[in-house]
Amino acid sequence: MPFDASRHEPLNPPEPSSALSGDSIVVLDAFMESLELVGAKCDIVESEYEAADRLVAIVKDLSATKIAISDSELVRRIVKVAGIEAIEDASREELFSSEIGITSAQSAIAETGTLVLESGAERHRLVSLVPPVHICVLPARSIRGSMAEILELADTDAHRTITFITGASRTSDIELTLAIGVHGPGKLYVIVIKDQ
Amino acid sequence: MKVALFVTCLVDQFCPNVGMATVEVLRRAGCEVTFDDRQTCCGQPAFNTGYRKGARKFAKRFIEIFRNPETEAIVSPSGSCTAMVKHFHELFPDEPEWQERANSVAAKTHELGSFLVNVLGIDDVGAISNCKATWHDACHGLRDLGIYAEPRRLLKKVKGIEFVEMENADVCCGFGGTFSVKYPEISAGILDNKIEMIEQSGADTVVACDASCLMQIGGRLSRIGSKVQTKHLAEILASQE
Amino acid sequence: MSDINRTPETFDQNARAALADPVLHIALRNLADSFVVRRRNAIASVDDWEGLRERARAIKENTMLHLDEHLERFTENAEKAGATVHWALDGNEACEIIVELVRAKNARMVVKAKSMTGEEIHLNEALEKCGIEPVETDLGEWIIQLAGETPSHIVVPAIHKTKKQIADLFVEKVGIEKTENVDVLTQTARKILRERFAQAQVGISGVNFAIAETGTILILENEGNIRLTTSLTKTHIAVMGIEKVIPKFADLDVFLKLLPRSGTGQRLTAYQSLITGTKKDANDIGPDELHIVMLDNRRSRMLAHPVTRQSLACIRCGACLNACPVYQQVGGHAYGSVYPGPIGAVITPQLFGLSKSKQLPYASSLCGACRDVCPVKIDIPELLLHLRAEIVDGSATGPNERPTRKLGESIAFRAYSRMWSRSGMYSFSMRVARTMQTFVARDGKIGKVGSLISRLVPPLGAWTAWRDAPVVASKSFREMWRDKEK
Repeated sequence: MPFDASRHEPLNPPEPSSALSGDSIVVLDAFMESLELVGAKCDIVESEYEAADRLVAIVKDLSATKIAISDSELVRRIVKVAGIEAIEDASREELFSSEIGITSAQSAIAETGTLVLESGAERHRLVSLVPPVHICVLPARSIRGSMAEILELADTDAHRTITFITGASRTSDIELTLAIGVHGPGKLYVIVIKDQ
Repeated sequence: MKVALFVTCLVDQFCPNVGMATVEVLRRAGCEVTFDDRQTCCGQPAFNTGYRKGARKFAKRFIEIFRNPETEAIVSPSGSCTAMVKHFHELFPDEPEWQERANSVAAKTHELGSFLVNVLGIDDVGAISNCKATWHDACHGLRDLGIYAEPRRLLKKVKGIEFVEMENADVCCGFGGTFSVKYPEISAGILDNKIEMIEQSGADTVVACDASCLMQIGGRLSRIGSKVQTKHLAEILASQE
Repeated sequence: MSDINRTPETFDQNARAALADPVLHIALRNLADSFVVRRRNAIASVDDWEGLRERARAIKENTMLHLDEHLERFTENAEKAGATVHWALDGNEACEIIVELVRAKNARMVVKAKSMTGEEIHLNEALEKCGIEPVETDLGEWIIQLAGETPSHIVVPAIHKTKKQIADLFVEKVGIEKTENVDVLTQTARKILRERFAQAQVGISGVNFAIAETGTILILENEGNIRLTTSLTKTHIAVMGIEKVIPKFADLDVFLKLLPRSGTGQRLTAYQSLITGTKKDANDIGPDELHIVMLDNRRSRMLAHPVTRQSLACIRCGACLNACPVYQQVGGHAYGSVYPGPIGAVITPQLFGLSKSKQLPYASSLCGACRDVCPVKIDIPELLLHLRAEIVDGSATGPNERPTRKLGESIAFRAYSRMWSRSGMYSFSMRVARTMQTFVARDGKIGKVGSLISRLVPPLGAWTAWRDAPVVASKSFREMWRDKEK
């Protein structure tokens, strides 16, 4: 069914206009480049509506029906707008039979194309790991330049597990030949929502 | 410059012409060369195999012989022997006087190619050699002494030479002192990789500033009946044909 | 030659067997060729690689000088966050602790993420002896577990196997149709191991870095099996050598830049898990219990000496193996130790006893390629020389461990040192050699000598088996000089 923005509540509270500075364009570009280098598919969208659009397209592409999501507010909203049926708080069985896992990320690193997942903020540890496809939606403003910055900001008490994800699961254990999608997801999609 | 020649036992006994060539090159470069015939060996085989007491004997002897303050430089046609001299101080952990003497002798000791380029500041010694040559970076010269650009500069200035860079020039030839006879099969395996690179380079001459590497490489080339020759850097630089 | 018989003491035999294996030769050639390119490309993306190495070296050195303080802080912080820290003096103790922990959960199976420390203490054996099935989940480790072998490399454990061998292994042990398609093989492993993950209650992992400042452990990987092992299970047991500790959280930046590039030529591995204690909220995802087993196993002895202390800086990247001309020839199994290659030659004798591995320090041409590539600047040749000196004079080893040095070699070197430190004897001995060589020299060189001479002069036999030997010149340099300068 075609997406009709007028039928929905405004999704984002208005952001201060200084959010999109010169710096953040540079950071965003660098992030895109890094993601490409590690084989993740990345889309930059202007709004949560567009993110929902993108999500619909990906799900259709993959002909997926079983989708698990984390408890992120952002993900909940987008999935609702996209009209996708998804399981939150999936059981172990449901997780293992899911085809896609959708989460957000608390921050990201531009220089390496890394997603930073913090356990105290979101329950995404398994949703981002078990299904063969991982889709991560995050706001552009959460992207930082370097690993050093992320390490400085890390709160290991609030977040007992911090997970860095850079690209898809892989191995070269067999004759140094690259194989993608070993135990973790073989496909990683990142949808970055630009600050308004 | 007053140079004391540290000829090394290998060159002295197995390829004395390399010693003569070294003297020739140094004289052409304007140095006054002396040779103290009390010298024997730097003791590297003892040190490398773990016989530090023996190595200490050699080190003390070397330091005594080469301590002459009038000597401005001690020059050797061997990277590994020069490196050994630089390691002498490690043999005197409880003898600060000897450590100091070792350090001052080490400071004056140079490998031939490095001496010409870095101390005398010259890279053209008027050599003539019609060959297609490639350079092998002996491990001690390369990694202990940091010698890389110098021999290449010197060789490229030789009239008539066609210099080719071989792949993996900086990879070990497999000699490693007693390693070559303790583990001869492994040594030969490493050596064969080096030979492969030499053949691939198309060179007819392999040059190095270490008689031990040249023995290792030359010995195999000879055994397989190869037409490729080995030449010491000093021989090429002294050459007038 | 079966794996189980390979010990460091039979290195020479192991090496010969390896050299005679053409399939291994191909596998090792592949490793050497790819490594050079991957590493070069990876380093190109760093501004000041040498500066980074120096920083890492300095951090490690400082850490080792105050290791007890950092360990104390780490323990305090980890326990504050809910972890239980256990101390094991040696491998046996560590295995006992771990087996007890597993038993306490009534688990008959554990999923294991790759851990070299686990291999060091023979953990799998200990678990199996007590009726607990350890399931290796790292693809390379699972492959060698299927094959009943030990790892031959610190980072890519099955590097000694070709695609064809692995394909045959899968046919035999897994029962699939023969295929060399790496994707199919990988997906098959994934499917099988997921079934084990789905049931797993206890997970065992290693640790790459333990941060004193926060009590955090960091484990990095590419496959995702470590994340599964440490998120799906109810109990997580992490085993680590005490040298894994680093002081500050911020230090991770340096090591995360060095380790993936040095180990696999990547900017970053796919996943890093930074785990601090246990979950705050009982309803959260993740294990209820985290047990960190701290292993000494003679590491504190290595700390004592300024030269051997640097061995503890190792971050297990495997770069030295890849760069080593000897490893490239013989592979990892020849070393007969869980730690092969240059770093293995240096820590195996120190961890397991010099008398049990006295060949290893000599299994090197001292070329120094390892030192060039080591991200924490361990001077491996210096360590090798130190160990060789210890073997010769049996200095630092205890009375039960004094290795017997070779009598013949010892006599020869003593003679050489005595005689050649006098120029008269030096010249005389060479004149003797000049005479003796007439028996074996032809056309100005010495070809392959017969078995009698080989037995009388073993080094000559060993040399000429593969290479011609030069003859002693009829006139030495000093004789020429004397004549010329007369």
